[in-house]
Amino acid sequence: MEPGGGVTPRGVEAARRTEAPWVRTLEAADGVWAVFLQARRRDAHVHVGDVHAPDAEMALVLAKENYARRDPCVSLWVVPARAIRGTASDAADMFEPATDKSYRFGGSYRQQQRVYRGGYSAGPTEDDR
Amino acid sequence: MSTVSPAGDEAVRLERFTTRIASGDQIEAGEWMPEQYRFEALRLIQMHANSEIMGALPEREWIPRAPTLARKMALTAKVQDEVGHGMLLYRVAETIGRPREEMYAELVEGRARFHNVFHYPAETWADVAIIQVFVDGAAMQTQGALRSCSYAPYSRVLKRICYEEDFHIQLGLDVWRALAEGTPAQRAMLQDALNRWWTPIIHFFGMPDRVSPHTEAMLAWRLKVKSNEELRQQFLRRFVPVILEYGLVVPDPGLRWLETEQRYEYTEPDWDELKRVGRNGGPKSAERLALRQSFYRQHAWVREALSRWSQAAA
Repeated sequence: MEPGGGVTPRGVEAARRTEAPWVRTLEAADGVWAVFLQARRRDAHVHVGDVHAPDAEMALVLAKENYARRDPCVSLWVVPARAIRGTASDAADMFEPATDKSYRFGGSYRQQQRVYRGGYSAGPTEDDR
Repeated sequence: MSTVSPAGDEAVRLERFTTRIASGDQIEAGEWMPEQYRFEALRLIQMHANSEIMGALPEREWIPRAPTLARKMALTAKVQDEVGHGMLLYRVAETIGRPREEMYAELVEGRARFHNVFHYPAETWADVAIIQVFVDGAAMQTQGALRSCSYAPYSRVLKRICYEEDFHIQLGLDVWRALAEGTPAQRAMLQDALNRWWTPIIHFFGMPDRVSPHTEAMLAWRLKVKSNEELRQQFLRRFVPVILEYGLVVPDPGLRWLETEQRYEYTEPDWDELKRVGRNGGPKSAERLALRQSFYRQHAWVREALSRWSQAAA
């Protein structure tokens, strides 16, 4: 163990062992910050890239210069890249619906509307002839 | 105890990896990848990053000498974009496994490669127009195609890069038009610059693929999306008309459009020159690397101040 209580590689390994196999920690060097940009108030913050910086304030300065020098931006977030936990990319299967989820979509009901409205306005069908 | 041997496990992973890429899927940072893929991806992206950083230099020389304030501001913005691309790309390369410091050291010490076009001088203001239109135009063919490459972090960064490169080409076309519609001296300067840049630009896409040993593996893994010759033809189709439209002369007397084959025939350039230049043996290689080195040393205090600041705050 290193003095000073820093997270040692061994510590990281131990922490990972307690996590579920579908949880992933981003491998990033010390001082890498993930940058999230909000283009307009109505939009969400979106990950646009990373910067190298010694602290959050400098990360924000560099993020502004690198990611907000041309296109609209109203707010930036920086997060130590190592602090991010995500789902593993080979765990994408878990987002696949186990059963038919079409009942959750408005589009699934449009056909019924067409049938309903069609009954009043349509002329004779092929069968009537 | 696992019944699968490590070697067997590796074969299964490789097959799964290859199938995924063949189906159009992309690989994310931190995922398993074959060593050969890692090597090729790193080589490609590091070379691209180096080229952005070194590519800023020929144009940078013209910032103090730009003819108007508007041109000076636009050129400064363009150079800033290029350096920014370098930063984005080194970060992507880092996700494949090399620290940025190490890659940067390799570049400034002259042990790494960067694109052939950045080893040549930018002698006149017309060279700036040629670089912005034709060099960036050439790069855009390669980078545009690679947006559908198999390494997802690279393809995301390329979208942003291509978006900014489009500004560079439009800016270049404006400089090009101003000179092409200018005085006879300005037109002569433009033609002279075009003459000097033509061969390096034809070289830019590399040798036709039958001579390139990596091509097949690169295409299969989608670290290459189109062959060198396809990209060169795509470039010629887009940019030869720009030259002709303004009544300038294509500096290759052997260039002609083959209607039946839908491609340009051109004079085979001296490929040995490309190899020589690629090994940092171009007319400006040593000077530009020396400039990079001296700036790297001069700016050491900035890097040091940044790290001390965070220590002081802690």
